This record gives sequence, structure tokens and C-alpha cells, in this order.
Amino acid sequence: MEQKKQTYQPRTLETNLPFSWKRLFFQWEWMLLLILIAVLLLGSYVSPYFLNYPSLRDGTMVFLDKALIVFPMAMIMIMRDIDISVGSTVALSSVVMATLYTSAGLPMEVAIIACLATGAICGLINGLLIVKFKELSAVIVTLGTMILYRGIAYIILEDQAAGGFPEWFGFFGWGYVFGIPFLLIVFAALALLFGIVLHKTTFGRKVFAIGNNPTASRFSGIKVDKVKVIVFMLAGLLAAVTAIFLTSRMGSTRPNIATMYELDIIAMAALGGVSTAGGKGRVLGVVIAVFIIGYLQYGLGLINLPSQIFLIIVGALLILSVAIPKLGGMMKRK
Amino acid sequence: MTNEFVLEMKGISKAFPGVKALNDMQFQLKKGEIHALMGENGAGKSTFIKIITGVHQPTEGEMLLVGEKVSFQNPKQAQQHGIAAIYQHVTSYPDLSVTENIFMNHEIRHQVWKTLNWREMHKQARQLLRELGSSLDPKAQMNTLSVAQQQIVEIAKAISTKAKIIIMDEPTAALTARESEELYRITEKLRDEGTSIIFISHRFEDMYRLASRVTVLRDSNYIGTWDVEDISNEKLIVAMVGREINQIFPDKKTSAGETVLEVKNLCKLGEFEDISFSIKSGEILGMTGLVGAGRTEVCQAIFGITAFDKGEILLSGRSIRNKNPQAAMNNGIGYLAEDRLDQGLLVDWSIEKNITLANLSDLSSFTWIHRDKEKRQAKEFGEKVHIKATSIFDSVNSLSGGNQQKVAVAKLLTKELKVILLDEPTKGVDIGAKAAIYEIVQQLAEAGYAVLFVSSEMPEILGMSDRILVLKEGRIAADFVNRGITQEMILEAAMGEEQVQEKSG
Amino acid sequence: MEIKTENLDLEKKNPLALFYQFRELGLFFFIVILCIGVQLRNPSFLTGENILDMATNTSILVILALGMMIVLITRGIDLSIGAVIALSGMLTAQLVAANPTVNPFLCLLIGTIIGALCGMVIGLLVAKVGLLPIIATLALMNIFRGLTFLVSDGEWVSSYQMSESFVEIATGTFLGLNHLIWIAVIFCLVFFYFLNYTRTGRQIYAVGSNPQSAAVSGIKQGRILFLVYTIMGGLSGLCGVLWVSKFASAQGDTASGYELTVIAACILGGVSIAGGSGKLAGVLLGAILLGILNNALPLLNVSPFWQNGIQGFIILLAVIVNAIVKRRVERIHLLRRAG
Repeated sequence: MEQKKQTYQPRTLETNLPFSWKRLFFQWEWMLLLILIAVLLLGSYVSPYFLNYPSLRDGTMVFLDKALIVFPMAMIMIMRDIDISVGSTVALSSVVMATLYTSAGLPMEVAIIACLATGAICGLINGLLIVKFKELSAVIVTLGTMILYRGIAYIILEDQAAGGFPEWFGFFGWGYVFGIPFLLIVFAALALLFGIVLHKTTFGRKVFAIGNNPTASRFSGIKVDKVKVIVFMLAGLLAAVTAIFLTSRMGSTRPNIATMYELDIIAMAALGGVSTAGGKGRVLGVVIAVFIIGYLQYGLGLINLPSQIFLIIVGALLILSVAIPKLGGMMKRK
Repeated sequence: MTNEFVLEMKGISKAFPGVKALNDMQFQLKKGEIHALMGENGAGKSTFIKIITGVHQPTEGEMLLVGEKVSFQNPKQAQQHGIAAIYQHVTSYPDLSVTENIFMNHEIRHQVWKTLNWREMHKQARQLLRELGSSLDPKAQMNTLSVAQQQIVEIAKAISTKAKIIIMDEPTAALTARESEELYRITEKLRDEGTSIIFISHRFEDMYRLASRVTVLRDSNYIGTWDVEDISNEKLIVAMVGREINQIFPDKKTSAGETVLEVKNLCKLGEFEDISFSIKSGEILGMTGLVGAGRTEVCQAIFGITAFDKGEILLSGRSIRNKNPQAAMNNGIGYLAEDRLDQGLLVDWSIEKNITLANLSDLSSFTWIHRDKEKRQAKEFGEKVHIKATSIFDSVNSLSGGNQQKVAVAKLLTKELKVILLDEPTKGVDIGAKAAIYEIVQQLAEAGYAVLFVSSEMPEILGMSDRILVLKEGRIAADFVNRGITQEMILEAAMGEEQVQEKSG
Repeated sequence: MEIKTENLDLEKKNPLALFYQFRELGLFFFIVILCIGVQLRNPSFLTGENILDMATNTSILVILALGMMIVLITRGIDLSIGAVIALSGMLTAQLVAANPTVNPFLCLLIGTIIGALCGMVIGLLVAKVGLLPIIATLALMNIFRGLTFLVSDGEWVSSYQMSESFVEIATGTFLGLNHLIWIAVIFCLVFFYFLNYTRTGRQIYAVGSNPQSAAVSGIKQGRILFLVYTIMGGLSGLCGVLWVSKFASAQGDTASGYELTVIAACILGGVSIAGGSGKLAGVLLGAILLGILNNALPLLNVSPFWQNGIQGFIILLAVIVNAIVKRRVERIHLLRRAG
């Protein structure tokens, strides 16, 4: 037993934390849960069609596609970086897929693989540039590729729309498995996967370490550059997965799809408790934040409020979620 | 009423939450004197400076400037009272010109239009630099200058504010012997013109060369002030350290085994050249030299953080090349970084996660981390180095400097290493913790590690090492067997113009 | 001390270091070569009329790039300027539509004030609350854009609703030059004076170059940051009015994504994202380069759909080349310092 050791060893280090109510309840996630409940209640108040199982279930199809990117984005932000090119990556991968199917006449399966490859390559380019040119910072690199990737999408498709996919392709956007939307299942699986990777594996530990102190991480034998490139590639890959779901739901694609997705995604991650200064964040919080922002958007759509109000709300939520901890810190100091 | 002292401090104390950084400080500075301030790292020198320059406000005591009581709320006020500081790490604006660095925030403006008068500023800057014996171009950008040149600019800046009191915080630390001599000359000139100078240095020769009086701090306490002529070297060391030097070092009881690490002709352009040495198992090789002599650079090249141009590293006779720190550790080489907070530890993290960070692969299967194993290992190694904390979940920034260093050491021990490179392991650590670290280093050697012990502090180099390497400007200036070696011999090798070729053993 | 002198010579002779010191000159030559190339392909490029056209079309970019430059110098970034342009443009256009007699100078003033207020909000969030500029301005971009849609209710304000005197702001000429050119020139002069000959101007550089040491010198950092974002906002507001007057329409998505073009102009002009450095001449040339590209690509019969891609490619290429050159030069300095 640990306690008995103390008699013959002068300095023991405790390995069990005593249970603490404060630790259990003093968590951002509880706050988020309250906000989510408030959003749901508000929704049921303004629209009688909002708060029931089929409505809430099908509502997820409206917003969960972009939420897939939130997991790698959370990792990127934990590592003190940012990726604002993900919206453009979605557009480019979608356009590549549609063009290969409609103009090049390749089978849809091949087009989907090409779509995933495109996204991963976009992410890889981001990652490599950021790692090789550290002085440029992720902001500038992804700003440049944001323009570039969408530019390429325009070069490929000009101002046309491409569509007419095979019928089975619609399954991604509209399909159900055991009465649950396929998208929701994918989202849940990814949440679980990323939760495990981030919180239970060496890779996740390294991501947090890098966000906390990149130099000390490197000195401790972590291959910082490699981890970064992998995470940026994951962001590109999941942007491509998003492209598949989004294209499937809309039935066709254009070069201007998914504009400003990066903002919603960053807002979801920040609201979910991922620190914009790096080093902190949890998948659970991010998942709740996705549903808060998503149901807000869905609810506003149900009562025909202009989508611009949604823009304002997301912006305000983003500011509040990053400002509250700072203001709290300022109060404490005083 | 005239006053003998331009600056007088009576009973100044400063407490931070949980720490007393300065306790009952007494200090008197005469007009036109160079007053040395000495003390080990963490003795309270920097707190003292920060109080004089208005960065910190004292919690107790009073400060008199030419007999008048003052209290500075911010650095600007101290500047207005004629106090300037030149810091160890030059705090310049790297993107701006020399002139701008000199005149920042006290620019010269046209009488009428209130616009900046660049022509006048450049002229005065050139004049100031010339007075200091430097022909630097005032329009040159700051980050193109050498450290010594930047320091001259800092001095010019202090003079341009018409400072009556200039504080120099280890200005010679990064300078070559010749550059130091230049600095001495400038400092003496300033003194002769009536400026009072507080000179902080670790180097005894700085003090003997320049100062007329010396004040010693130890463990945040004021120890005393002496005329330099009246105090012997030994007495001064006792005042600084608090006890006889050799007391705190553990007895050596190891015999060296086989050669483990061998470095041959290591070169890196602009950093170090022709570095060759070897360490045996159980041996402590001391490495010293002035700051900037290339010690850290050599360590980091061996550890795979930076690449080197030429040369070879042999581990137990086998040639290795470490592409990155991970490869180095897998080869059996560990490195304790000089800058603990920046390079060694994740200070927001718990002790536990810091200790296990380098060894995650052994604590996981298929990358899944076994928490129980992890906790056990953290406890084992944390206790091995005697970290003072209640649990392994305490965050590292709640620990004292010495205990933080122990965490960093514990992290290294989790790996199976043969060679440990310790870069200034006792920097910024209080005296009690120092003794504990020496004990640990000695234990490492006894356990059969080959230890490279890098330090600027002569006493610990002399007290700990079996052999001593002295670096000077990126080259090995001397290789001593630690028998009858004195501080003076090391210093001569570290600073002298000629190479000391005394190879023995 | 052999090494030292050798390296000193190295630096003096190294063309790379020279090039970096006069980076603006390099950019200038690139522009000249580009112009010659375009001229050879299409002789109508370098005609007086087209040059004036180009200058007019580049003026707004120049004005905005000046503001963005000082934001970047303080290590910040402002992504909200496109939205501020839209908001101030929409509000002034609505004012003009309601009272056609309103004085055009008053319109400019009102637009500037609206923009400055927007900038102050950012300034407060960045300087006082301590938010990262990229997050704060990303969020406010959304909010300002949303507000624009709200106040306009999704409607446009079109040319027929605007008074002649209002449209005159951006289309009229003075001494043969478009008003926009005059405004841009005035701002360049003011900024040149402000950045080089005033204390505040230099403090902007100081804060960006070394915040810690700026604090030790007693420079009020918060105030500088607040000022910088307010100026950026004010310029965006002003440009909102100019934009609406020039294109004779105000829409909810006016200037959408324009912040990227402005940032690109600054980065092409050698402003460092890490703060502390950036010259007016460089930014001016950067803006001119983008202006020329915008004008020349259609003249070369490049499809408009290629423009985005080309722009993105050039921005990336420019920052990467810049980074490589800078690294080489720093290595030279390092060698010299070590010598």
C-alpha cells in the first residue's frame, strides 16, 4: 500500500488524487451543456416543429458535414496553429471529384478516392510549407493556399455547376442506417476516434506537448514537424470527407461551396474550450459546441430568420468563448 | 545639503506570492564609483535591479536618490531620474536602426514642427558612439551587429538619457577578452566623468579590475559591503556561497570504466571548430568557458538538435549520427537543456506527464498509453531524485527552481542512456538544491553514466569534474585533469589570448 | 580575427544581402519586367488612358494596404476590413438614397467614423481583453457582415438611388487625375510623415519589434494597438464610401474577401508577419503589382477564372522566396557575428 511506504521513505509522491466535487463540476463542458439545453428550449419555444426526435435527428444533416473538420482543427489549434484554408479545400476536392466523374467519365468510386487524395494533398502542402518555413506562420501559409485552392477550383469548373451523380452517391447526404442518419454515425465514430487519439494515445499526448512548449517537446524527442504535417494532412483529408457529404446532399457542386466554413469550424472549436493560445482542449467540449452552433443554425432556419443573424451569433459566440476566460483571468489578478 | 551617496537603499524587501525575493537590502552608491554587485544565481540580484529601475515596487523599505526619498511606479519614472540599465540579454529593437535604438522614447524633435529630427539624432548617435570609441554606422540595423556592438549601443543609449546611475547586468558574459577590455575602458571613462555604475558580474576579474567596492547578496539576503582591496578572494566566496566551497560537493568515489562517448573534430561553421574529447563510463567531464564560447552549441550538435558540418561522434566505438533528439536518445545520449523553462519542461503540466514525456513509447502498446504504468514510473523516478511535492499531479510551475530541475533529470533517467549531457544544471537554483543536484550527478556517475557537466561556475566545475575542458571562442582552449587545477588557470585558458596546451594524463 | 574580416567582406560583396537591403528595388524591377512583357503582348497596356485607369483602380487597395501595414507591424492582422467596407458603404449609401442633397464630404466623414468605431471595437478586444487579432477580427468580420445584411434587409442600393454629387466622389477628376488617385497620394504622404517623423509612428515599429523592451522603455502598448486598429477601421470606412461611389452600388457582399488582397499587397511589399518591419515604399509597390496583375490579365486574354489561382500562387511564391532570401542573409549576419 502506498501510505505505508511513508514510514521508511521520507518523500513519497501521491499517485491518487482525492475525489473533489470542485474538479468534477468546475468544467467548461457543464457550462456548454447548459447552453445546449438553453438552445434546445429556445428552439422549442420559437417553433413547435423543433423539439422532437425526428426533427433533431434530421437537423444534424444540415450542420454535421462541416463539423467533421472540427476534430483536426481542434488539434491544429491545440498546437497553436490555425488553418483557414479548409473551406477552400472542401471546394477543391468536391470540384475535382465532380469533374472526374462528369467530364473525365471515371467511375464514381475512383472519383471519391481522388477527392480524398486531393484533400490530403492540400493538407500535406499546408503542413510542409508551415514546417519548412516556420517564419511565415500558419496564418500566412493557409491564407495563401486558401486563395490558391479556391482559385484552382475556379480554374477547373469556372462558374459552372457539376452534378448528375449516380443515385447511390446520395446515400452519403441523405442515407439512414438503422434509422440514424449515416452522417451522424460517421460524426459519432470520428468523435470517438479522435477522442481516443487525442486523450489516450501517445500521438495525442504529443499534440498537447507541442501546444504547450514546442521547443521542450523537440528536446524531449518528439518529432514536432512530423506530428504537425500529419495533423494538417488530417485536416485536409477530413475536408475532403466533408466535401463528399456536402456534394452528396446538394446533388451538385460549384467552386464557391463551403465559403467561410473555416470560421464556423474555428468558432466550434473555440466555443468547445480549445484554447486559441494552444495547449488545451477536449473532444467532448468540442462535440457539445458543434451541437450548440448546429442547432442554433437549424432552429433559426426553421423560423425563417435570415441566415445573417446566424453569422452575427457565431461571431459573438466566438468572441465570448475566448474573451470570458481572459476576462476571468483579469478579474482574478485584480 | 550635499549628500555623499547618489543612491541609497534602506531595508528594501520584496515579496512575491510565496517567495521572498529580496530581504532587508542595504545599499549605498557614491558619485563616480563602480560598485560591484555579486552573488550566485537566484541570490536576488535581478530583483534588486528591477526595484531600482522601477520594474518592481518594493514591499518594504525606502530608496533615496541624492538624499531624497523616491518611489518609482514604472520604468519611465526611473529613467527620468537618471537611472539606466544594460541587461545581460540585450533588449534592443532588432528591426530598427542603431540611432533609433539609442533614442527610442526620448527622440529629438524639431523645435517648431515637433517632427522627429533624424539628422540631429544620427549626428548625436555618431558622436556618442565615437566617444565610446566605436565607428559603428548609426543607420545600421540592430540585428546585423555582434553582441559586443549591441552592448556598446546599449551603453550609448544609457548615456543619451543623461543617466547618472548605470546598472550593467553581466555585460561581459558574452564578450571575448578583447571586447571585455574595451568595455572596461568605456566603463572607467564613464566613471571618471562622474557617472555611478553598478556592475554585476560572475567574473572575479571584472570586479578586481573595475570596482572599488563590492556588495554581496546570498539567498535573497544582504550579506555585506566591502572595499575591494580589503577582501580576499576566499572570504568573498564564503560570503557568496555561505560556507566553504568544498563542503557542498560529494566525495568522488568512482573509477572510470571504458570510453563511452568519443567526439572527433566536430566543426560547425561560425559556432565551434575542431572539438575532440572523450568521456568514460563513470566519469564526469567538466566543460566550461565564457558564455558564447560554444558549449551549448556543442551539446546540441551531439544531441541532434542542430546539424554539424564536419566530424564524427562515436558511441562505444560505433560511429553514430543523430538526426534528431529522438535518435540521440535511442542511441543512449540524453541532454538536460540549459534553459529549463523554455527547453526542458512543460511548466503547465504535471510532474508526472513531464517525467514520462520522453519515454511514452515504453509506456504504451499500439500507442495507447497505460496510465497505471505511467503513474508508477513517474512516482518511481520522481522519488529517485527526491522531488519535493505532494503528488505527481502537482504542476511543474508550482515547484521551486531546484525541484523543477529534478523533474527534468528524472525525465532523462526514464530512458536507457549511457551518456548524459548536463548543460548548466544548477543555473538559477538555490544553494540547497544545488547540493542535491551535485549529489544526483555524482550518483549518475556512480551508476556508470558518462557525464558531461557544462557550467560557467568555476567552483562547481572544480568540485565536480574528473577532467575539465575549457572552451574559448568555439575551440578547446585547454584540457585539464582535475588535480591541482585552480580557478585562475581555467580563467586564463578561457580568456587568455594564447592557447594553453597542457595535456596530461 | 581572420574569420571576422573575411566574413565582413563576404557581406559587403554578397549580392543577396544587397538585394535584401533594397528589396523594394527588386520588386520594382519585377514590376518593370512584367510591364515590358505585358506591353509586348498587348500594346494597349502602357497607354496614358490605361495607366490612369490602373492607378484609379489601385487607389483603394493602396489606402487599405497602408492601414494593414501598421497592423501587421504590430504583429497583428485584420480580417474584418472587407466587412467594414461593406457596412460603412451600405450605411452611407442608404443615407444618400434617403437624402440626395447630403454633402459628399459629410458622407466621407460619416463613413470614416463608422469604420473607426468598428476598428475601436477590435482595438478594445485586442489591446484590453487580449484576444488574438486573428480570432477577434475573424469573429467581427462575421458580425459586421451580418449587420450589413440586416440593415440592408438583403436589398441593394443601386446607382439610380445615388445622387450625382455622391457618385462624383470616386469618378470626378481634379487636374486631370481621378479623385481616388489624389486621396491615395495624400494618404501616402500623411503615412510617410506619420511613420517616419512622429514619435507615435516609431512606437508602432517598436511595439512590433520587441514588445518587452517597448514596455521597459515606457511605451504604452495597449494604446498603440488600439490606435492601429482604429486607423485601420477608419481607412476601411472611408474606402467603403469610395467603393460604393466608384461602383455605384452597395450590396451585402461588397468587398467580400478583399482583406486577403490587401494582406497580400502588404506581404508582397515585404511587411513581415512577425512584426517590426515594413516600409511604405514596399507596400505601395506591392499594391501596384497586384493592380497591374488585375489590369493586365484580362488584356492578355487570361480567363477571369484564372485570376484567383494566379494571385494565390504569386502570394505564396513571393512569401517563400522572401523567406529563403531572408534566411540566407541572416546566416551571413550570424557568421559575421560569430566571427
